[in-house]
Order: sequence, then C-alpha cells, then structure tokens
Amino acid sequence: MLEELSLHILDIGMNSLAAGARKLEVAVIENTKRDWLIIRLRDDGQGMDAETLQDVLDHRASSKKGRKKNIGLGLAFLQQTSEMCGGTFHVASRPGQGTTVTASMRLSHIDRPPLGNINSTILTLSARADVDVQLHYRSDDQTFHFSSQEGKPHEPRRTQEAQR
Amino acid sequence: MNLEELKKLKDKAQRQVALREGNKKYRVVFSMGTSGIAAGAREIMTTMLDEIDKRGIDDVEVAVTGEIGLVDAEPMIRIEEASGEKVTYAKVNAADARKIVTEHLEKGKIVEGLAVGKVKE
Repeated sequence: MLEELSLHILDIGMNSLAAGARKLEVAVIENTKRDWLIIRLRDDGQGMDAETLQDVLDHRASSKKGRKKNIGLGLAFLQQTSEMCGGTFHVASRPGQGTTVTASMRLSHIDRPPLGNINSTILTLSARADVDVQLHYRSDDQTFHFSSQEGKPHEPRRTQEAQR
Repeated sequence: MNLEELKKLKDKAQRQVALREGNKKYRVVFSMGTSGIAAGAREIMTTMLDEIDKRGIDDVEVAVTGEIGLVDAEPMIRIEEASGEKVTYAKVNAADARKIVTEHLEKGKIVEGLAVGKVKE
C-alpha cells in the first residue's frame, strides 16, 4: 500500500501521462467544517471505453481481443483507501475525452493517510515538458494554484521583450 | 497542508525547468510505476534532482516511465548517454542516488556495484 495520498496521486497521474494527456489537473480540496477531503485528477488523455473502465474498476486485466492491456492496481489502491476512510470513489471516462478520477474521504478518519509531499509528486509529474501539470489546492478559505507551464524559460523572455 | 510549503513548489519548478529539455549528454529515466513508487522512487528522484541542482550539473535531462516489470529491483534508474550507452541501476537508495550523480553524471564513471545492466547500441 502507498503511505501518502500524494503517492496515490503520482501513481494515477502516471496513468494520465501514459494515456497521452497534454493537460493533467490535480485538485486537492480540504473542508474541515464538513470533514471532507476530495482528490480529483482530470486529464485529456485517450480515455477508456466502458469495457476497459469496468475491467479497471474490477481490478482485472482486459481480455479484449487483439489487445494485451495491463491494468495496474493504482486506481484500486485509491478506491480502497477512500472507501476505508468513509468516502466514495468514482471514475468517469470516454474514449477521446479523457478521464476524471474523484476520491473523497473523511478528513478526520483515523485511517486516512496523510497528504504527504504533494510538491514532490507534482514536480515528478512535471518531468514531462509537453504536459501541463496543474495543482489546485483549497483548504477552507486558502487556495493555491500551480501550473508546470508557468516555469517555462521562454515566458520571462517574452515579458522582457514586451516591456521594451 | 502548509501553504508556505506549497509556495516552494513554484521556486523548485523554476529551478528544474531546464532538466525537462532534451538533447543533453545524459538522460536519466526513473521507473515510476506503482511498484517503483511503493519502493520509494519519488524520493530517489527528488534526491537526485536536489543533488544535480546543488552541483550545478546542466547536461542532464530527467524523464519518468511507467511499470517496467522488474518489481523486485525497484527503485530503478536508467541512464542513457547521447553515445547510445545505457546503464541501469537497481534497488537504489538515497545514498546511491547521490553517488550516481557525483560519479556517473559528474565524472562519467559507472557506479559498478550498483549497475545491473549495460547496453551499448
């Protein structure tokens, strides 16, 4: 099992990269008053058809004809964690339209793993220069936003040129 | 989660942006599938990136890949040279990761005790 929620995020985010995503949005929302933690990963990758999605959720490798497809346990691990912590788990996906994974859990649940080093997770996923990896973090009234494309070297240069 | 801690993400991403670009002498590929992650691959990558940054090494590109099927050997790192040579390191810990930076990436010497595979194309 993965000890931090940010490791689950990395694991599932790697699926998005493998699915050819050009944009991956990671949202972490904490609401202490309502006692919820919501994690959502949305990508614009190749998506899955109903059969593949069912295979993923049933934790078995696809037997689809002519296609050898290895399905990992990443989604199963996060599903187990969220359900164990009084939450729900949902995956929405369509071929060509990307995938959205939403996991919720009770913030105060005794078995809830810590979020852990989310910075490290986002930086790891950001190794892919051609993918815009975004983090939206909200904790009650505090918010934080990051995009891996913000750090692109040509951006400050363009700003300097614009100032001239 | 501490918001101050999150703000460091932007600085760090800025410092590491050059490592995402290709056409370098070395390409370091981290195995980042479920088994690699569970074995500590993310921490190994962070350690290496910090060491590369600390030493000001700039002829390196970093990349991540999915599950490669050698679960027992994780965390694994593959170093690909522009010349075509590929070296794979297995069961890498934080101290090993720093050694790979100082020996292989800085001095061009393969860390023999850690390397499990070497391919010359």
